[in-house]
Amino acid sequence: MVINVKLTNLLAYSSLVVRRVSHLGKHHGDFPYQLLLSKPTPLFHHKKQIQTVVPSTSTKNVTVPVENTPTADSLVRLDLEGLYEDIREGLSETQPELKLIAQYYFNGEGKAIRPVITMCMARAINFHLDQNTPYVLQKQKKIAQIAEMIHTASLVHDDVIDVADSRRSRPSVNIVWGQRKSIIAGDFILAMASKMLARLQNKQVIILLSQVLADLVQGEFMQLGARENKDERFAHYSEKTFKKTASLIAYSCQAVSVLSGADSTLQAVAFQYGRQIGMAFQLVDDLLDFIATSAQLGKPVAADLRLGLATAPVLFAAQKFSELNPLILRRFQEPGDAETAFRLVLRSDGLQRTKDLAHQYCNDAVTQIAQLTPSPYQQALVTLAHQLLHRMK
Amino acid sequence: MASRNCLMRLKTFQLITTSFNPPNGIAFSRGFCASPPVFQTKWLQAVSHAEKVVGNPTFLNLESVTSHEISNMAVYLKNLIKTGHPLTSTVKELLNPKAKNDLTRGLLVLLVSKAGKHKANEDILPNQRKLAEITEQIHTAHIIHTGIINLATPNENLEMGNKMAILCGDFIQSRSSIQLAELKNIKIIELFGQAIADFSAVEFINEDTYCALDLWTQKTKMRYGTLLSNACQSTLILGGNMDLLESAKNFGLEIAFAWQANIDLQSYKSTTKKAEHNLAKLFPGTPFEEILLIFEAVRDKHINASLKILAKFPQNDACLALCDIAKALKY
Repeated sequence: MVINVKLTNLLAYSSLVVRRVSHLGKHHGDFPYQLLLSKPTPLFHHKKQIQTVVPSTSTKNVTVPVENTPTADSLVRLDLEGLYEDIREGLSETQPELKLIAQYYFNGEGKAIRPVITMCMARAINFHLDQNTPYVLQKQKKIAQIAEMIHTASLVHDDVIDVADSRRSRPSVNIVWGQRKSIIAGDFILAMASKMLARLQNKQVIILLSQVLADLVQGEFMQLGARENKDERFAHYSEKTFKKTASLIAYSCQAVSVLSGADSTLQAVAFQYGRQIGMAFQLVDDLLDFIATSAQLGKPVAADLRLGLATAPVLFAAQKFSELNPLILRRFQEPGDAETAFRLVLRSDGLQRTKDLAHQYCNDAVTQIAQLTPSPYQQALVTLAHQLLHRMK
Repeated sequence: MASRNCLMRLKTFQLITTSFNPPNGIAFSRGFCASPPVFQTKWLQAVSHAEKVVGNPTFLNLESVTSHEISNMAVYLKNLIKTGHPLTSTVKELLNPKAKNDLTRGLLVLLVSKAGKHKANEDILPNQRKLAEITEQIHTAHIIHTGIINLATPNENLEMGNKMAILCGDFIQSRSSIQLAELKNIKIIELFGQAIADFSAVEFINEDTYCALDLWTQKTKMRYGTLLSNACQSTLILGGNMDLLESAKNFGLEIAFAWQANIDLQSYKSTTKKAEHNLAKLFPGTPFEEILLIFEAVRDKHINASLKILAKFPQNDACLALCDIAKALKY
């Protein structure tokens, strides 16, 4: 069955990573670093979507290791010009109210990390393969669009599931139009994305991006957790993070490489870069939830705890402070739980270990992308990884 | 202005059947209201015979999902039942698929697959069976998502019910997407994408822009017609029966209209709150008998259209079974 073949491939690719980091596994304690799918574990809870940003060159806090290296963002700016207009255009031929709802989150206020990474990877792979056909680039831009549409449709559904009230400083869809219409509008966005996907006329690409849909749903199911034993928690968290966050980025990267004509080895490089960067993004996000000020985040600190989510810092901290375990199990629902957990995390080495893990993922991403022929795009993907780590300072 | 036009059209319609309108709201295809005994017998006979023709299929057999996923899904669906959410009955059916004596989209697709075969010894392809299952799944996911209720005030149980509904619908939908992708046919993926777009968009129709009968037609077409029409087309694409594609497309549409008209009619006849029924709301102030006549004419028109199209198919047992089903709708 196709899905099982893909799992086997993924496990094969990820075994590279596991081997590289396994020596660190011992250093960090008992957790098996099951960076990909393990046997089914009971469910876990993490609601937040990725909200981290690829910093632009204008952000004064960014220090870039190489002088004057253009960022991924700036390099693909022209490619992505009109991305949101095109998406809105694709959603416009329908009933007026549906058009409004479908277009609501595509106002260009999002940071478009996924399209940026996708296009930069596309350019880097094209350079590596000496692929210059405009037709190929056009299709790769469509992948960027489709990825953003899939991501946004999942945001729409998530906002209803989480009973959110705002997103990007505006009332969320469910507040404006109610739950029912929002869900159906999300279905509409996905249907239009699948039509766009079909028109790319590439069966492998269609299969790859359809897998993302299943992963997103499964990740969401994993969040609604049942209780699990603490030894399995981290593996579960990793698997959930892959499905909810990294999967879309990984498969988009692989898809653009397929369109460029990459063989399976090169596709694996693209996939792994996307995957590791995606995992790192989520870890950074989880870390910042503890250490950033609310001004930087744009929302209250420790939102994850308040939502009942035990992310990487908490899971690491629970190794030192086993009193966190009952709190994790009851999702910090008792009064004072969130504050206690927050305090204990800061006292433990949880944050440091989260940083270290993010470093590992980024390093692996860089190692992957280093296999490509050097180009500004390849370098920008390296820079992106470094900038991500810099956000943690 | 609209109402005068509508009245004129009403009269014209009773003489010359033109298009007609779908009632508001959703009538589940599985909803079986108290109908006259004659209808029940003929209907049951037709459907059960049809099932035999295509090998007694079962759809949405959740056992076919991997055990990991099924255990999660089953848990969540059971939770949904506990919340008292309106979707409870739909969910109960999902969890207990017994042989139901009722027409399903999947069954229709299988029948069309078989009807398209020119040679008597040709059987339905595995891909076509898969497609029938996918059609049924996509319809179910839609029913589940449209069962989500707007909660103005927080209510923990119903919120949990909504969450389960969203996730289960998404789960079924994403599974369908993967299975569609595996069919590796671009055209089919586009056709199903369009069907989903249509039945999603129908929730947002501005009803004022349509005259009564047109509204029913438009809504039925978008909600039920496109899916069935495109599914029938798709299965013949898989079967390589290109000569019958156009017929399959038209048949899917006509049978969807006929079927839905009949469902609406049966529920209108049996409901105690006549004035609140979809059909009644299309023609406010019109007496019960007159509305019945209108929709019976509508239904019959589409049944006749279906039968006419079926004449173009090879006259094998599947085609005849479809004719029987179409005729059984008349009661």
